[in-house]
Amino acid sequence: MRTINVSAPRKRRNPILPYFLILPTGIFVLMFTAWPTLLALYQSFFRQRMNIAKFRQPTFIGLGNYAQLLGDERFLLVMKNTLVYVLITAPISIILGFLFALLVNRTVKGIGLARLAFFQPTILPMVSAATIWMFFFTPNYGLWNNALRALGYTGPQNWTGNPHLALIAIMIVTIWKNAGYYMIFYLAGLQNLPTDVYEAAVLDGASGWQMLWQITFPLLRRTTLFVSTIAFIGAFQMVDHIFVLTGGGPSRASTVLLYYLWQVRFENQNIGRAAALTLILIIFLLLFTATNFLLSERKEESYA
Amino acid sequence: MKRNNILILFVIMSLALFVLAGCAAPPTAAPAEPTQAPVEQPTAAPAPTEPPTAEPVTIQVFYPVAVDAPIADILNGYISAFEKENPNITVEPVFSGGYGDVRTAIQTTIDGGGQPPALAVMLGTDLYDLINADYIVPLDKYIDAMDNGDAYRNDFFPAFLDNSRYDGKLWSIPFQRSAVVMYYNADLFKENGLEPPDSWDALANAAQALTVRDGDNVTRWGLEWPSGWPYWLFQPLAIGAGQNIVGDSDTEVFFDHPQVIEAVQYYIDLSHKYQAMAEGVQAVWGQAPSDLASGQTAMIVHSSGSLSGLLKQVDFELGVMAVPGKEKGTYATVPGGGNLYIFKGAPQDQQDAAWKFSEFLTQPENAADFSIHTGYIASRQSAYDTSAMKDYIAQTPQAAATRDTLQYAGKELSLQDLGEVRSIFHDYLQKAYNGEMSPAEAMAAAQKAADEALAPFK
Repeated sequence: MRTINVSAPRKRRNPILPYFLILPTGIFVLMFTAWPTLLALYQSFFRQRMNIAKFRQPTFIGLGNYAQLLGDERFLLVMKNTLVYVLITAPISIILGFLFALLVNRTVKGIGLARLAFFQPTILPMVSAATIWMFFFTPNYGLWNNALRALGYTGPQNWTGNPHLALIAIMIVTIWKNAGYYMIFYLAGLQNLPTDVYEAAVLDGASGWQMLWQITFPLLRRTTLFVSTIAFIGAFQMVDHIFVLTGGGPSRASTVLLYYLWQVRFENQNIGRAAALTLILIIFLLLFTATNFLLSERKEESYA
Repeated sequence: MKRNNILILFVIMSLALFVLAGCAAPPTAAPAEPTQAPVEQPTAAPAPTEPPTAEPVTIQVFYPVAVDAPIADILNGYISAFEKENPNITVEPVFSGGYGDVRTAIQTTIDGGGQPPALAVMLGTDLYDLINADYIVPLDKYIDAMDNGDAYRNDFFPAFLDNSRYDGKLWSIPFQRSAVVMYYNADLFKENGLEPPDSWDALANAAQALTVRDGDNVTRWGLEWPSGWPYWLFQPLAIGAGQNIVGDSDTEVFFDHPQVIEAVQYYIDLSHKYQAMAEGVQAVWGQAPSDLASGQTAMIVHSSGSLSGLLKQVDFELGVMAVPGKEKGTYATVPGGGNLYIFKGAPQDQQDAAWKFSEFLTQPENAADFSIHTGYIASRQSAYDTSAMKDYIAQTPQAAATRDTLQYAGKELSLQDLGEVRSIFHDYLQKAYNGEMSPAEAMAAAQKAADEALAPFK
């Protein structure tokens, strides 16, 4: 006969369950992130170009792909464009998102419409949004140029064809598209804030400005960390509108890293160089994300 | 439509490869291509009523939609007619976005170790890339086996076959083809007593005469000549000046030829000297047809593929012609568009079935029908002898005008390392258009960079 010792105290379970629970995610991360990254790292050391018969088989060339890239002024221009694009669009979109959230976080009649207006660009697929902007940017009769003219702007109007304006045009669309998305996170954060701290602050005679910067903003730090992380990663990844508006031109003035990567991999079929570019992109993403977390962690300590 | 071919690509690219994979480069990392699953299911075919004479075979056809026409419905019609004639063959059409998407989908499938579709519609200019990657098979054996093979081959417009031949073989057959044309508002020409231009001077003068200014503000341009993705619409200028940018060799370009430089200068003169066109690079491919229809401009240079859309929009007489050349009485154009390619990675029986379907699609009646319903130029000369086409041209003479431009056609830019060489040319041509470099400097730099890129291919 078997007896079951029910009274024996269960001390610690074998801690396998948590690992089991994250297994599906783990497998996906390994399959779709870690493995391709390693593969790209490996491929980046080889010369492999599918459009030259003699280079179709991979040949080990060490850091050759990286050396070629660093010696290529087109790549350097693309890197410059990418940094300008990311470092300008991400912060501005975040700040605008925060301001929009403050603006619509009140209980006025019709506020739903205002929220909808700010959020609407987010719902549109990027390609449709870019197509709309293509007409906005049209010289002469485009809405954007008409609005600017009404404000007294007399500068060049050829936003998508002028080498000094093309990247700015791309950034305008990115910011317009993203600010409303980040607003949603801030709005959710604002609505979860405890009201008692504000009551206390009012009793202490704090001004609205002080409450904003001393209470609201610090309390939303977690939201800011999250939003800035997705904003920086998103900025590196968002290129659909470049295809529609400028095709990366004129003369590469609006080509960013991911667009260039696509060209190298699929137009030029240069697998080795594309792998090297992928690695560079991943390194930039890691750098931005890690810096963001570290800065935020340090703040956390200073508050503690 | 040339630019549109990559629009939706990035949604697919960045979703399938980048967001999920975290990186886009490793081709083997994309086994999730949904397109290859149904390949080996010939049993899915509806059982034919009479016993088939041959083994049943199922083929996939990847095709892009690059014009404003219900391509999917039109193709499905041809497929059911074809399956009725060939009960053992099932054709699965796979819509894959634009031209770039089709190419990306096939590249990732093959590089990932999967089986490509038997047949695909891809750009005629993809020829060298597809041969070098060892993706496609030559079609001569099929054509030679036909009763009237030579007649079949010679019936295609010669301009459409320019980018089909390599190494003495024929690698693709023309399917949905277009050409660069000039559209003009014929009513405006009549009102101003102007004749359709027959030279560069006449074109510049007409464009100048038709430009309307209200103070500093231009209310109507004489001419719009998109240059956001410029090589295709530039080629008629170079050919019109007397020197195409590409020749018979697959490793040689003529960017710094004096006549090509002259062509660049003419484009710039149209805005700077004649003030008849907006200055600098014009990334207005998408707007140009509606600009012409709404009277924002009197002429545009665009694809023949925009004809159907334009005819629906305009409320004036629409003129269609080849782009005037430099000398009086000369004209120029280049063809564009997609051909049918058969893939090496597909089993032999699928390749054979793919050929049968290609032959069916290019029958004169079907080529004519496709042209009438899409606005593409029919690929074969005999398509214009069919009664359907004759009736259509009687109603829409512009359809004959797009065909007639082909007699002035030069070869569309296609050669080894096309992606790289084309990017180089775009970069420097746009620098010249935008005044960042003189035409001579820009074209010399483009020639040097292109020669370097082409060196490993010689």
